[in-house]
Amino acid sequence: MTASAGRFSGKVVAITGAAHGIGAATARRFLAEGARVAVIDRESEGFAESFRDVPAEQLLTVAGDCTDAAVLADFHARAVSSFGPVDILFNNVGQSGRERAAQFHESDEEVWRFVLEVSLFTAMRMSRLVVPAMRERGGRIVNMSSDAAFVGDAGLTDYAAAKMGIIGFTRALARELAAHRVTVNAVAPGAIRTRAHDRLTPAVIEKIKATTPAGFIAEPEDVAGCVAFLASEDARYVTGQTLLIDGGRWMI
Amino acid sequence: MSGALKGRRILITGAAKGIGLATTERFIGEGARVAALDRDEAALTALAGRFNRSQLHPAKTDVVDPASVAAAVAESAAALGGLDGIVNAAGIDLVADIEAMALADWSRVLAVNLTGPMLVMQAAYPHLKTAGGGTIVNVSSGAGLSPLKHRTAYCASKAGLQMASKALAMEAAEFGIRVNTVCPGAVETELFRSGIDTSPDPQAAYEAVRSRYALQRIAAPDEIAAAILWLTSAESSYVTGTAIAVDGGRTFH
Repeated sequence: MTASAGRFSGKVVAITGAAHGIGAATARRFLAEGARVAVIDRESEGFAESFRDVPAEQLLTVAGDCTDAAVLADFHARAVSSFGPVDILFNNVGQSGRERAAQFHESDEEVWRFVLEVSLFTAMRMSRLVVPAMRERGGRIVNMSSDAAFVGDAGLTDYAAAKMGIIGFTRALARELAAHRVTVNAVAPGAIRTRAHDRLTPAVIEKIKATTPAGFIAEPEDVAGCVAFLASEDARYVTGQTLLIDGGRWMI
Repeated sequence: MSGALKGRRILITGAAKGIGLATTERFIGEGARVAALDRDEAALTALAGRFNRSQLHPAKTDVVDPASVAAAVAESAAALGGLDGIVNAAGIDLVADIEAMALADWSRVLAVNLTGPMLVMQAAYPHLKTAGGGTIVNVSSGAGLSPLKHRTAYCASKAGLQMASKALAMEAAEFGIRVNTVCPGAVETELFRSGIDTSPDPQAAYEAVRSRYALQRIAAPDEIAAAILWLTSAESSYVTGTAIAVDGGRTFH
């Protein structure tokens, strides 16, 4: 990974679900390249470990549940008052609810609602908060999808629906905002070494590796590099796209 | 970014003009050493004059000719001391009604846009394996994702290039070789200009193209080079077999 100091100097970044894993790795990447970053996570005890040695003037950490609209609004307000309007939004938070995953005929509507709330509605709500200012000043939105949306993993119907919903949301919003110098794109990771991944059984991990041409599980930093690209000036003509980061597991 | 390709040895086709040229300039700026292949000798000579031989090695090549490709790839690998990546940017366009299209025109488009990149990949593949891995970026087109009228040959060649890239991505993964495509929309190049300027009403033709894109403008070659750079750099280390549209919002792929 080559971090370029200063590529995001002066930029304000907001990231949801950033105490661990991909969100934290991406936040560290933006911080290393000069941005000021606001992060929110329910599991705020992870912040200290993930953001050691980051100067306080560069980072705002907020403890809160992203599925609560009022909490998100407060997070946005604090980010703006601390750093100014958001230039780059990474709608990262999401969960497959894998612990409660079930075959569809045995699934509960309560779990669908949770998965859709955390993986789709938070991205829409957070975007709704930043878009008015972005329409005036330009900006970047990167949404978190998953290759599970394309593959359609059994037992994860709700998650696949939420993550494909992200793709439709991304395209329509990209079209609405294109003339306002705002790009909207999605990333769709495959197997990434995060805490959710570490809870998988060895048999499942082997199966994933066997179906991934690259033959290995990637690190959160591999996704951070893709998000940074989509947020950079280099990607100003890329909009409405979904970028798969899955070692070739799904090729569209 | 700067130095993102430090020391990397990259072969680029169509390197003297348009997207290939922008890519060559950007790559050298990022520290790569480039073998520049093009069939336009004058343009290639002009390009070669701008850089020293350790930065750029020019090789006149016609990608439709297997012998020419084999010679150029061998010469390039020898000059650079090996190859770590390729960018297939050479391509041609064809606008023709199905009834008016000559078989020779169809065949030429397929030869340049699809068979040509295959020949380059085939010739360069052993060098990438020897290097212990590498990157291949093929310049396809938004027209390979979503069709355009009167462009049967062009669309088919570009869609074919995407699928060839994906199939090779599966095959090459075990050698640490990543294969991806970039799908530009309309880009301000000589090729694009010639299409506009030869139409009956150039202004109307330009507007018709421009209005296809959500961003309401034609891309600069640099904007495509930026995506090619990213797919060639270590930043995209887990990305293979993908097709990135850099089309200002047309295909919504």
